[in-house]
Amino acid sequence: MAFDTPQNDTLLSAHFSLRYADKPVLRGVRLEIQRGEVMGLVGQSGSGKSTLAMTILGLLEKKRAHAEGSIQFQDSDLLQLSERELRTLRGRSISLVLQSPLSSLNPALRIRTQLKEAWRAHASGTNSDCGNAIRTCLESVSLPTDDEFLRKYPSQMSVGQAQRVLIAMAVMHRPVLLIADEATSALDVITQSEILALFRALNRSTGMAILYISHDLASVAGICDRIAILHQGEVVECGTTEQIFANPQHEYTQRLMAAMPRILPAGPSIQHKTQAAATR
Amino acid sequence: MRSESMNLGRKLACAVLVLVLAASAAANWLAPAGYARQYRDATGAPPSRAHWLGTDEIGRDRFARVLYGTRISLLLAPAAAFLSTLMAAFIGGLAGYLGGAWARIAMAVTDLFLSLPWLFLLITARALMPLNVSPLVSVLVTFLLLGLLGWTTAARVLCTTAASLRSSDFVRQARAVGLPGQRLFWIHVVPNLKPVLYAQFWISIPVFILSEANLGILGLGVAEPMPSWGSLLKELEGMVSVGEEPWKFVPLILLVVVVTSFQLLLSRQEEIAA
Repeated sequence: MAFDTPQNDTLLSAHFSLRYADKPVLRGVRLEIQRGEVMGLVGQSGSGKSTLAMTILGLLEKKRAHAEGSIQFQDSDLLQLSERELRTLRGRSISLVLQSPLSSLNPALRIRTQLKEAWRAHASGTNSDCGNAIRTCLESVSLPTDDEFLRKYPSQMSVGQAQRVLIAMAVMHRPVLLIADEATSALDVITQSEILALFRALNRSTGMAILYISHDLASVAGICDRIAILHQGEVVECGTTEQIFANPQHEYTQRLMAAMPRILPAGPSIQHKTQAAATR
Repeated sequence: MRSESMNLGRKLACAVLVLVLAASAAANWLAPAGYARQYRDATGAPPSRAHWLGTDEIGRDRFARVLYGTRISLLLAPAAAFLSTLMAAFIGGLAGYLGGAWARIAMAVTDLFLSLPWLFLLITARALMPLNVSPLVSVLVTFLLLGLLGWTTAARVLCTTAASLRSSDFVRQARAVGLPGQRLFWIHVVPNLKPVLYAQFWISIPVFILSEANLGILGLGVAEPMPSWGSLLKELEGMVSVGEEPWKFVPLILLVVVVTSFQLLLSRQEEIAA
């Protein structure tokens, strides 16, 4: 197992296992996120990526999911915090952006109401304060701030706009860590690249660390400083993006890299292409 | 072609309901006399220019009683539907949202209520109360009984809906934003229960119209002299031949027409919901 050396400016340090009843889901997971870095978490569907994100946020049902170990975040162990304590961290220090933007916004509420609720979860003040905060966060994700836009329901927006609203909601209280759980997987390639650029810009302008969870290696390569590979509930390899892509150590990482689509030289017949794919 | 005829049916149903509601609302002006006024010289009279639907056996104008009875029944049923929907929202919605032991307890109570013979329970509960209550009290008691006993099926539907909302992406996202449980329920769950609540409310109205009629036939509904469709149908108990006094069937026909109209409009709502 290859792991790079932890640095001093560690924001989150996790070492834990998790099981549902008797079924282990995450086994001795080790993950460290430094302040201001974009950390990629890669693995195939069912490898436990989302479960890991939900464990960090304390969003799993405690009666069903049993976690052992620790997740150190800003001098506290997230696994030992009460629901009330976790609630003060969620949205303020650690935020989440989910995969499907349209289903992650309440279809019965206007955008303004949803943003207001997100603001009031951790702030108090006048309507004008709230309006200013909403305007600022919408501007930071390049969305309109006019009344017409704020009166819209999620169904009246494009997927890209809805994802930006979710990101605006997530960065409203300037969290130190943003967890993007497959946040670009449901988007078309152009919108995907726009959202990736937005993540990168927010990371640079606010210094917010991002845990970017995805099964899409191309997007991970485009945005992440470091990458952790999750396979069957275990982090099997962790290193800089260059290390992982240029010199993968673990057999599963090597298979992942080999599965990345490549543009073949022009000319060969379909039969040649098929043979090439089979031997890769 | 079929959709056109269905459309016509719904338009007709809507017109019937508006007409019936308007007539019952204007009972004070349309009726020749109050519902309790007795014409002692014309007891059990057949229809005439003075009494369009004749008089009952103690000389009260049947047309006036149908108009006032319609008003009572059409006010009582939505009021009971509102109460039962509110209870279903509170019990089923909250249990579904909280999940775990709360949901199991609430659904066990609901199962118990569902397995009780509903009409028998209504009759027993009504029979436990004094028979000589004032008409107004009898209206309130009937409305409360129907409302308090009719929430179970709706509660089950709402429990399931709230449970699925609890595990929805937008509730998870709202939890990740840091919203507390109460806020999550009122802001994110309740607005999404509204379509189910509306549907349950409208579905309950014809059910309660029929339930009130059943209670009335058994003499346990709205007390005399106040009329309701149930108490008007009680008049049919002693009927020997349909052909002899067909005008006595007007309340029954009205009941069937109004309930059918409701059902026709509800089928449209279901189509929209689907």
